[in-house]
Amino acid sequence: MPASTEQLYQQRLARYVRAMRNEKPDRIPIRPFVAEFTAKYAGYTVQEVTQDYQKAFLAARRCAADFDWDAVVGNMVFVWAGLTQAIGLRYYAMPGVEAPPDSGFQYLEPSEDNAWMRADEYDLLIADPTGYLFNVWLPRATTEVRPIGEPATFRNNMSFLKGGMAMLSYFHGLQNQAALLRQESGTVGAIAGILKAPFDILADKFRGYKGLCTDLFRQPQKVQAACEALAPHLLQTALSGADPAKNVPIGLWLHRGCIPFLSPSQFERHYWPTLKWIIEELWKRGHQTLFYAEGEWNKNLKWIAELPERSIVYHVDRGDIVEVHKAVGEKFCLSGGVRNDLLAFGTPEDVRTCCKRIIDGVAGEGGYIMDASAIMQDDTKVENLRAMTEFTREYGVY
Amino acid sequence: MTESQSTKRPPGVCIPWEEKRADFPKISGDESVVKKVWEDVDGLAYMYIWQILLSF
Repeated sequence: MPASTEQLYQQRLARYVRAMRNEKPDRIPIRPFVAEFTAKYAGYTVQEVTQDYQKAFLAARRCAADFDWDAVVGNMVFVWAGLTQAIGLRYYAMPGVEAPPDSGFQYLEPSEDNAWMRADEYDLLIADPTGYLFNVWLPRATTEVRPIGEPATFRNNMSFLKGGMAMLSYFHGLQNQAALLRQESGTVGAIAGILKAPFDILADKFRGYKGLCTDLFRQPQKVQAACEALAPHLLQTALSGADPAKNVPIGLWLHRGCIPFLSPSQFERHYWPTLKWIIEELWKRGHQTLFYAEGEWNKNLKWIAELPERSIVYHVDRGDIVEVHKAVGEKFCLSGGVRNDLLAFGTPEDVRTCCKRIIDGVAGEGGYIMDASAIMQDDTKVENLRAMTEFTREYGVY
Repeated sequence: MTESQSTKRPPGVCIPWEEKRADFPKISGDESVVKKVWEDVDGLAYMYIWQILLSF
């Protein structure tokens, strides 16, 4: 038993890092990605934790302390509505405003005719991605920012001031949250920094998924050139938020790379080359990437296996985790695999059975981190998450 | 988009020091200090727009 909270923190950090390096720690680390679940557990509405980040922080710390987890994200309900409202981002429906107060925030896919980037603007984006973002994308994707050439307005000016100040306030709050998690419960911050695949950014924030699919047939070279133009900026952004100690990984949230969004051949041609380059560049600098493979990615494993050994932690959502382990378990630590529908609608015994299958199937030699398949919203039952936690703590000892 | 097309912006940069330097006829003290501070603050603006794109 550690003598102090700091010793507990150091013990957990060593356990977590050892597993992520695909080695065998003293026991399987428990690192649940809990989002709106924290609101339900702490007695808040989803609207409250989305609008008021201090409540979100409190809820996350209460869960970390009560469940005694090894590592968590300081606020998995990451998209703080205070910032999105300050600049008027058009692509969100927020709980208690455009969405019901007990619903998670929703992303609104644009229609093809009103995509945030038009089909004939690839050359502008490719020539100057940062300029394009400020001058074309931001005026179109927000209610407040006026386009270049139009008269500046009070609300235009306020959006930059309020947006910038809000971001600094929130990011400083997140730093403080990490310190409080360490001091109060000895909990490790699970990730640091953010990465997205260039193709996903094109789909999510510029062209929309349907528009980008059309572009794959009508102007595939432009899509490739845009991914190549974005990649150095996404690398820079990932590095700017990465853990200076190089212990915890950069979070990579993967959206449109797997079947049915892209065929494996489209993945190989359009999605993979630039993403692979970024991950390799991060690894050259000593940073692991948490490859959060949302959806069913098993058809893509042969490409993922090309990555340098230990360069990623591979998170399993809907793919069969035992198959994943056979394909890439020698090279990479795995995490996840406990189905969210089971956590929402199953019994604690169902959850224990699932955890046992995973631990027996993939965790024998270490290199596994216990988590649900996907980020847990407020449908996860408390007793089921407790069963996942307690079973792993008892059965997952090496 | 006249402003942005004329400027090559590498990762981490919104308004390059070379462009800003032209605003000062003469820098009486240590130019490297002015340059560093300009680039540090400029990097915050870069962080802002790319974080909006990636995180929000």
